[in-house]
Amino acid sequence: MLETLLITWRETLEAALVVGILLTYLARSGQRRALRYVWLGSAAAAVAALACAAASSSALAMLDGETQELVQALIVFGAVGVLSWMVVWMHLNARSLRGDIQVRAERVLATGRLVGLAVIAFVAVFREGIETVLFMWGVVVQRGVQLTTMPLLAGGLAGAGLAIATAWVFFRGFAFLSLRTFFRTTGVLLLLVAAGLLTSGVNKLIGLGYLPPLVPQVWNTSWLVRDGSPLGAVLSALVGYRSRPSLLEVLAYALYFPPMLWALNHGQPPPPADGRGEGGARSAA
Amino acid sequence: MRYQFAWALFLALALPVRADDLTIALSVKTEGFEPARIAAPAGARIRLEVSNETVTPIEFESFELNRERVVQPGQRATIYLSGLSAGRYEFFDDFNQVRRGVLTVE
Repeated sequence: MLETLLITWRETLEAALVVGILLTYLARSGQRRALRYVWLGSAAAAVAALACAAASSSALAMLDGETQELVQALIVFGAVGVLSWMVVWMHLNARSLRGDIQVRAERVLATGRLVGLAVIAFVAVFREGIETVLFMWGVVVQRGVQLTTMPLLAGGLAGAGLAIATAWVFFRGFAFLSLRTFFRTTGVLLLLVAAGLLTSGVNKLIGLGYLPPLVPQVWNTSWLVRDGSPLGAVLSALVGYRSRPSLLEVLAYALYFPPMLWALNHGQPPPPADGRGEGGARSAA
Repeated sequence: MRYQFAWALFLALALPVRADDLTIALSVKTEGFEPARIAAPAGARIRLEVSNETVTPIEFESFELNRERVVQPGQRATIYLSGLSAGRYEFFDDFNQVRRGVLTVE
């Protein structure tokens, strides 16, 4: 039971943290209309993950494992594009958002861009959701639906619930930051998430033999943070932590993150002199 | 011209199948991996062919090898590993962690 709890906690946490960042980010920038799209993307992904697992003996089998993995890698790269664009775009536009930040943001955030938010939420939830569902499905198939299976299922559900609670507590902590610090922090966090997604995509392509790792293991920090540990799971979701990355993954990270951080900082708006922007967004959050 | 060269270099490095690949077959059965112990020479390019012979999905995972891959029942996945230095590399089924194995590189 503890094992199923830990596995679903770990898988769900990764998705919950990403969705949590998006929700907190949007809520505090006063873009409440956009929240719907994040929830929509998450819900669609949960349904899709369930559907894929239910159909895994027939529909998924039509695509062989390698193609599925390749499709996943391409989806991840798409998400990195959307995420990067969103962070930088929002910050560049924040410059023009003086006065009533909420109304202006509503006006400039066109529906096409909101769909991008739904896509990111979908990718985050689907990526972890499919694994969680397949794992739980395996538990049931292996043991059959009987009395001894129930604690395992309960453990799985409890793990998912705990993960959402963990993410909630994590983001509650952000509520105490000033708006400026908040945007700086979450902007950087989102870029770290994107960098982590990018390297996970690169890792998939290496495993499929499409890319060379260059050096299979550049360093080993497993003595400090183990990959499977709770801290390792949190860091994996937030910054793409791997204890033993290959050189190509490190390069991808290094080529992506610093330039994006630079772009983010250059789009940073000056602090509002009268504090009106801050008040407006806070009341909306 | 420069791009063509870069592209050719990229393809040469990236082409999935090469003549000197070392193929290792690894079955996943209900009891565990078979064989649970596999070996390879240091520096080799390895094609690890993981066949899931159970009735449920498995996830081949290894922190040491920095690889993870879900394999559906009855399917086979090819996982590429290359340039490994000598050492012990443990792997397991993340969906059922009693299934464990080790790759020894020497």
